Amino acid sequence: MQSPPKLAKNEKQVMKSLKIIIPLVLGIAGTILVAIGQETPITLEAAKEQGRAKSRFLKETKEAAQTTDAIPKANVAFFHESVGPILKKSCLACHGPEKSEGRLRIDQLNPDLLTGPDVERWREIFNALSKSEMPPVDEPDYALADADRGRIVDWLSGELNMASLIRRNSKEHSSFRRLTKYEYNYALQDLLGLPYSLANPLPPETASEDGFKNSSELLQMSVMQFESYREIGLKALKRATVIGERPQAVTYIISMQEEMDKAASKEAAKDSDKNKKNSKSPRNQQQLFNRETEESIPFAERKTMPRAEAVAGQTPAVSPVVLVLPRSNELKLDLDRFLPDEGIMRVRIRAGRSTMNPDEYASLRLIFSAHTSNNANFSQVVTERDIPVTAPADDPQFIHFDIPLSDIQRNPFRKLTTTFPRRDEFLHIHNVSNAHSVEEPLQVLIDYIEISAPFYEQWPPKTHTDIFIASDNKSDEQLYGREVLARFLRRVWRRPVTSQEIDQFMALFAKYRPGFSTFEEAMVEVLATALATPEFLYLTQRVTTDETKSSATISELEFASRLAMFLWSSIPDDELLKLAEQGKLREPAVLAAQVKRMLADQRSRRFSQNFVEQWLGLDRMNSVTHVTDSALREAMLEEPVAFFEEVLKHNHSIMDFLHSDYAVVNERLAAHYRLPKFYGPHFRKVPITPQTNRGGLLTSAAIMTMNSDGKDSHPLKRGVWMLKRILDDPPPPPPPNVPEVDLTDPEILKMTLKEQIANHRNKPACISCHSKIDPWGLAFENYDALGAYRTHIKNQPVDATSELFNRQTLAGIDGLKRYLLTDRQDQFARAMVHKLTAYALGRPLSFGDRADIDSLTAQFRQRNDGLGDLIQLIVSSNLFNSK
Amino acid sequence: MNDKSMLLSRRTFLHGTGVALALPWFESFAVGSPTKDETPKRFVSVYHPDGVGLPLKSDPAWEDWSWFPRGGETDFKLTKVLDVLEPLRSDITIYSGLSHPAARRVHGHSNADQYLTGAPIGGEGPYRNTISLDQVYAEHAGDFTRHSSLVLSTNGGVGGPRGAQTQSFNREGRPIPAMNKPKQIFDMLFVTSGKDAAERLARSKSALDLLIDNTRSLSRQLSKRDQETLKQYLDAVRDTELKLAKAQKWIDTPIPQVDTKNLHLDAEPKEARLYFQTMYELIYLAFLSDSSRVATFQLGRENGEGPHDLLSLAVGLGGAHGLTHEVKKPDGWKNLGTYNRYQAEEFGRFAQRLKDTPEPTGKGNMLDNTLAMHGSASSSFHLSRNYPIISAGGKNLGFTNGRYLKFGKGNEDNQAGAGIDTDAGWQGKLEVEELPLAKLFVTILQRLGVETDSFGGYTGSLSRV
Repeated sequence: MQSPPKLAKNEKQVMKSLKIIIPLVLGIAGTILVAIGQETPITLEAAKEQGRAKSRFLKETKEAAQTTDAIPKANVAFFHESVGPILKKSCLACHGPEKSEGRLRIDQLNPDLLTGPDVERWREIFNALSKSEMPPVDEPDYALADADRGRIVDWLSGELNMASLIRRNSKEHSSFRRLTKYEYNYALQDLLGLPYSLANPLPPETASEDGFKNSSELLQMSVMQFESYREIGLKALKRATVIGERPQAVTYIISMQEEMDKAASKEAAKDSDKNKKNSKSPRNQQQLFNRETEESIPFAERKTMPRAEAVAGQTPAVSPVVLVLPRSNELKLDLDRFLPDEGIMRVRIRAGRSTMNPDEYASLRLIFSAHTSNNANFSQVVTERDIPVTAPADDPQFIHFDIPLSDIQRNPFRKLTTTFPRRDEFLHIHNVSNAHSVEEPLQVLIDYIEISAPFYEQWPPKTHTDIFIASDNKSDEQLYGREVLARFLRRVWRRPVTSQEIDQFMALFAKYRPGFSTFEEAMVEVLATALATPEFLYLTQRVTTDETKSSATISELEFASRLAMFLWSSIPDDELLKLAEQGKLREPAVLAAQVKRMLADQRSRRFSQNFVEQWLGLDRMNSVTHVTDSALREAMLEEPVAFFEEVLKHNHSIMDFLHSDYAVVNERLAAHYRLPKFYGPHFRKVPITPQTNRGGLLTSAAIMTMNSDGKDSHPLKRGVWMLKRILDDPPPPPPPNVPEVDLTDPEILKMTLKEQIANHRNKPACISCHSKIDPWGLAFENYDALGAYRTHIKNQPVDATSELFNRQTLAGIDGLKRYLLTDRQDQFARAMVHKLTAYALGRPLSFGDRADIDSLTAQFRQRNDGLGDLIQLIVSSNLFNSK
Repeated sequence: MNDKSMLLSRRTFLHGTGVALALPWFESFAVGSPTKDETPKRFVSVYHPDGVGLPLKSDPAWEDWSWFPRGGETDFKLTKVLDVLEPLRSDITIYSGLSHPAARRVHGHSNADQYLTGAPIGGEGPYRNTISLDQVYAEHAGDFTRHSSLVLSTNGGVGGPRGAQTQSFNREGRPIPAMNKPKQIFDMLFVTSGKDAAERLARSKSALDLLIDNTRSLSRQLSKRDQETLKQYLDAVRDTELKLAKAQKWIDTPIPQVDTKNLHLDAEPKEARLYFQTMYELIYLAFLSDSSRVATFQLGRENGEGPHDLLSLAVGLGGAHGLTHEVKKPDGWKNLGTYNRYQAEEFGRFAQRLKDTPEPTGKGNMLDNTLAMHGSASSSFHLSRNYPIISAGGKNLGFTNGRYLKFGKGNEDNQAGAGIDTDAGWQGKLEVEELPLAKLFVTILQRLGVETDSFGGYTGSLSRV
């Protein structure tokens, strides 16, 4: 954490204007480059090299690097020299020994805001002065000159900010904490093998100052929360286990051949050759189509009933009759009212593509709906992701969806004995596609659909046999109960379990057993209690009783849990647990291999998702209402995560977050960014030229969009975001009741946005903070409220130049990136280390952690800034191994 | 007041109402707050679908059959629709210019769901609701009574999304099934045995014992600082124990006995008057016996059909929903007005009953300590604006009655959307300003003693109420 005055000092030392031509020796390449004058600035890639060469973490010795970030001290000297005399002149008459209005004695306040007792009084003075409430306007003798007011406000805002920083950072924080809502959800999913969201009844978490939701000091526990855990745990266990015989499944079969035959015979009865006439229907129309005879009939909706004799999972011969489903079309199936209340509905669809043009994709999505009466209706997408259809038409393949019927919105009237309100439930099979060819448009061809519920891969399901394991002792409830508990508790507590602990739970079982007809039902209640124990809900760190171990270090098992929470947001798997039990997990080679394995595992997606979301504050996108295209919104939210994954996967330098010569986008976002056209909904890396004005995370659409006011850019929000999220140098919060920019004032309306901002901040009370914030945001002026690049605003060319408080000129985004890359690499690297470590530890960092963070940063920079290396460094660090 | 005298007073008084209600050591039940001599604060909301009659001024029916009163805040004059409330004039408040902003352009048929929640449920597509006003209060007051809230409707169950048959939604926005059979409601309130509940409680108690043991043994292995953090968990478990103890007391407390001879527990909606009165009577009895302090009651569902449509038989009219569609037919406004008048009459009867019953704690009458709301999420034909709302009582909670409170701007004579009978009406532009109904909800919650300054995303209470 860096404090503003300190930072300002560093700036002066480090800062070198690019306008000066300096020969630079670039360490790595060993080449001598001459930085070119302002007419043709160096490329951003060259700036990266040049900036890296300046790193103090690379040049200076470790010790020197550490001492640069000493704990801030109060600036009392400035008070005595400058602030004190002004206060004496303008305030003492009313707030001194003669009169002490508001019981304030200005001459008796301790000017040390960092350690002194008068911080709150000083805050009142700051508020009164910054709002120009004092001195009173009717006391012209004591009026404050703007420059003097500015001087006091400036000093006070700096000192107050530092004081709160110190308060926050002086407290040592423990990593002992409960799991977050999302961690608890994943832990339960992984433990029980259930792929659905389970934790919805829990309240959302609040983010810390750093933006993190896993921060120990904010993770509270309440009665309501505790009761929710108990309910969720029991409910989840009941879903994972089954009782009795395999239930009879309800199965619907829709064979296009049959549908065609049915329609044909109906039509034949009515009128002879209507079908034949239809056979010349437009190609791109939803219809049943016989690929051999080329006969066709329109087909969009069908009522279908379960078939008593049907067996799910069949693979009938491929039929020449197919449903032709063009882009954005859907088949609506009326399933009447026979789907069961619970269990998985498996929808199997055999589908192929009409053409194999690689620029086009088509995928299927399921929607569930009901229309119970006029205006009482709903429809809901029930699939988490669209599944692409990839097989050719001649060789169609099955794709399937599993939908948990108890989790989706159902028709509450389905069990009525009367027919109104309507009881039917509908399943829509929707083609999501970018098909665009005029000649041969890509369509999905479906010849067979099967819907079956409840669906079980096996009986009893694996989720059940993972809890009620196979054993020879099944007939002995006492013995078998202990076996079940031993296995379950080990996973729940992430440690070996003692026999006495099992006794405790068996005693509970004994109490419960008479109330239930089966062993399993009683045991499920016991296991639910285990899911409410603090050792499941919290990340523990025990005090060591073992004299041979350092008391500051967490145990091997605790380490395994911490590691799994960091990279999987969940509990450790069996492999991690075993290694920890054997005491091998922390052996450097083993640990490195495990981290690699964990990052390659699907579950590491949770790390990218949660870390990036919290680091960048992407939650704010939730309150954005001006993105109306849902595909664009989704793409916006995905981009930073996909970019992070790309950097992580290839161990690219984190400087790529500031700028990269590639973008990670999908079709929708590429179109938004006006990149060369390419196709498909999935994200991939594409090379870009400087002319695209993209690269890195700073200008990603989500960040520009959430830091806008809904209509236009918002330089202040963007500036604050840069300082908080990227440079880890948060500005002080604004004083209370700051006047808004008066947009009804005709003089102000005439000004450009930049002029309005300048006008606002030139008030003495505002300038000190705003001069540190606004320039960062103004540099983004070329990006509009959706993050699209623009050169003009209302026919005026965009003016995105700004000047930082250190006189550094930023020429738009290019200038901003160049400046960050040339002069702020160390600050960004340290910020990144700080953020990632705070997330990994699940606690705010304090002054006590500074040396560790510095040394981590030094090692990281020496290893060339690779994100993958940073993960490895963090998990091997002292911090990550300490309590 | 000591337990004994209070017990006596309640018992004596119950005899006086013609209902024999035995209350053994009922009032001595006092685990946690509130203190036992505190007067209950009650809330009930009655919802009726299909809105009210709102003819144009130029229409001859305007004089008699326009729902909203005429005149100013205190000198208002009730039309024929509400004149049945004249005897209660000093105990009621009528509101205009309030609605939920998110629903203002959604078809009235879809909107019963959001009347007490204010959620942006929209007219189609995915559906998500939020907690209702009564449930926010039930979270606060629910522990003081055997039943945290009473959720009733004529149709029962939850209905469908955008076709609710319940007014109550829990914290997750899920509908709470409404009860609609007087006999079942009565049994739940005054007959049900607690055997299942007792078994569940016993299990919970054993589980909590184990959790406390387990937490203590973990705590011993933690640093002082971490023990502090874990203490929060232990407190949560202990507080849950207290709640269980409370629930246990309810199980052990004999259920109040009510004489059923004057209750028509088999009444069905087609016997409209009897059914209406029985449902209201059950709410009254639940309040009287302090079995619950929160209730909602939905009369039917939007868009007619089902039991609700029969309720207008009470005034000899068929098809309640149809009445709103037929306002332009001969006597159309009169018929709709007559049905609305009947709804007001029954609401008035219920309010009067509360008013005639002295509060057992001695603080005024029961109406003074109850806020009873009556309203709909549409005014004119399918138009989700300017909700017609009446509240009664609440004097001891801080409500000043005898007033007609107009909110918003530009619609002082309630003519915006008046006289419409096509769908162009509800889709029409918003030309007048209305205030968010949520602000009234904030006022209500605050007066009921819930510390909050926002509801459904709207901050601040409603001035003048």
